Amino acid sequence: MAVSEVKLPKNFHQAVEDWRDTFLPDYQFLLDSWEKHFPKEPMFKLCAYREMGVCANIECGAKEGQPKATKPSELDEDQAQHLLGAIRAQASTEFGSIQQHRLTLARAQSEEEQVWVLRMMAEELRHGYQMLHLLVDDDWTCQTQQSSADMVEEILSMQTGSHVLGAFNIDFDSFVDNIVFCALIDRVGKYQLAMQKVSAYKPMAESMPQMLREEAFHLATGVVPMRRWATQAAEGEVYVTMEMMQKAINKWLPRGLEMFGDERGGGSNVRMGLKPMKNAEAQADYYQEVAKVVDDLNIRYLRAKVKDLSIGEARELLANLERGRGKAKGVDHAELLRMPDRDFFRRRGVPAFTMVGFEGETYDLYQDYVQHLRKHLPESYLAGRDFRDYAETLKKVAAGEMTAEDGARKMPELRRVGGSCPCSKSVRWVRGESEEGTKLPVMGG
Amino acid sequence: MSSLVIRGLDTMDIGDIVGIDEKITKQYRPEVWEARCAYYLRRDPDAAVVCVADGTVVGFMLGEVRSGEFGLEEPTGWIEVLGVDPEHQGKAIGRQLADAMLDYFKRRGAKTVRTLVDEEMADIAGFFDSLGFQPSSLRPFVKTL
Repeated sequence: MAVSEVKLPKNFHQAVEDWRDTFLPDYQFLLDSWEKHFPKEPMFKLCAYREMGVCANIECGAKEGQPKATKPSELDEDQAQHLLGAIRAQASTEFGSIQQHRLTLARAQSEEEQVWVLRMMAEELRHGYQMLHLLVDDDWTCQTQQSSADMVEEILSMQTGSHVLGAFNIDFDSFVDNIVFCALIDRVGKYQLAMQKVSAYKPMAESMPQMLREEAFHLATGVVPMRRWATQAAEGEVYVTMEMMQKAINKWLPRGLEMFGDERGGGSNVRMGLKPMKNAEAQADYYQEVAKVVDDLNIRYLRAKVKDLSIGEARELLANLERGRGKAKGVDHAELLRMPDRDFFRRRGVPAFTMVGFEGETYDLYQDYVQHLRKHLPESYLAGRDFRDYAETLKKVAAGEMTAEDGARKMPELRRVGGSCPCSKSVRWVRGESEEGTKLPVMGG
Repeated sequence: MSSLVIRGLDTMDIGDIVGIDEKITKQYRPEVWEARCAYYLRRDPDAAVVCVADGTVVGFMLGEVRSGEFGLEEPTGWIEVLGVDPEHQGKAIGRQLADAMLDYFKRRGAKTVRTLVDEEMADIAGFFDSLGFQPSSLRPFVKTL
């Protein structure tokens, strides 16, 4: 399997490096500590990889079996618009997650966990770079009025609050968010990349294998520390408790489910050969996978808490506790992690603003529901703008002043639309050839 | 009989792998497998494979393609760990895992695949023998410090 390594044209490459200097200031620290944490592993490189030898024919949809498109002009208009939207959304998530992770990276209590997150951030930067490569490597002018430079500029100018998907518009409140986000939201990323691996646009399909390999470690960056935290919590450590992890799961899982898109949709992507699964199908598989992770974390907790418990006994104890919801062998059911109902705290898709509780119960009154949410979400998140925007929108939907569909369209509020920061109005990330070598002022945010 | 699925390693497999190791070694070592799985997931998750039956991992094989080790400059596939749930032995799971891994190594440009087996583990040696592995001139040397 041959893999080609590609760099963006100089001015675009420079734009990404300038962006990196602003939003990933610890990049040099990562390179300096690489040998210590990742001995003998190839050093990180900022480039795009294209894997040769992927399937040359369309693998699903109405044109299954026909040759995949190798350039934008071979796509029909609908296909091109869907694909452009997907590339932009993918790029936005990659750059967006770095902006979120940087807020709380320094709060990590373990150096290993911090460096893992840092490496993951660098790889997300590479994934964003890969998507920009798809936008600038080929001529999209047949499909869009925007120049490559403008498309790249638009993506690099996005900030938390103006990204395409809701999960990337929520600020992190603690390092628990860094870790739980990797375990839950990067798992959605894995699904999207795996689905795009069959894309009818060959350059997209060729971009996915290396991204998927890297994404596997991003999930480990979340799941492994969570497993360790579960053990420490069982042993009585107070740093990260099961309750803190539970509340972080409650904060992120609904956003993860919404990243698959409306449960009624996805048919067009399948028909056009861009993805093999509809939204609801992929979302259901994802929910099951997260449930398995939660189960594993509980088993890890029980075996650390109740000494000499075999794996079989731990599974039996977990099943008993989940059935009876009481106490057994010194463990209270309330200590364990649980999966929130699929419709809990949703603001997009079929269950948007339906006031479904953690257990799947429904609420009629807005006040009762926000009190319920208050109990299940992290305190620091409740004090933030995202939750306030949600609650105010919900209040209007519950009072009949707004439809759930309008509420969904309103979320998230785009307070920081790309380029809204004062310095960005006069600064472009992508400079023309004549501007090369001019030092870009650092963008504040 | 449930159908077996061979696929790449995922973080959600760690618990099952810990369970298989425990059945084989009678030791509960979650930290060991968390660190090992994180390593292989970081290096190349497609090179590490698991066998799944009814949603549970019943076998795993961890390995990778490396160059420059022991003077072997060409890309070489290394099989480092193999584990099959004792309750699922006799279903050719090891062979299916090896087929998938060797196929991937080949696609990654490896011309040779190597592993080390303790002389006392005759059944494992027999397994590799059945896959066509032959004794190598590269011998392990050990010194106690």
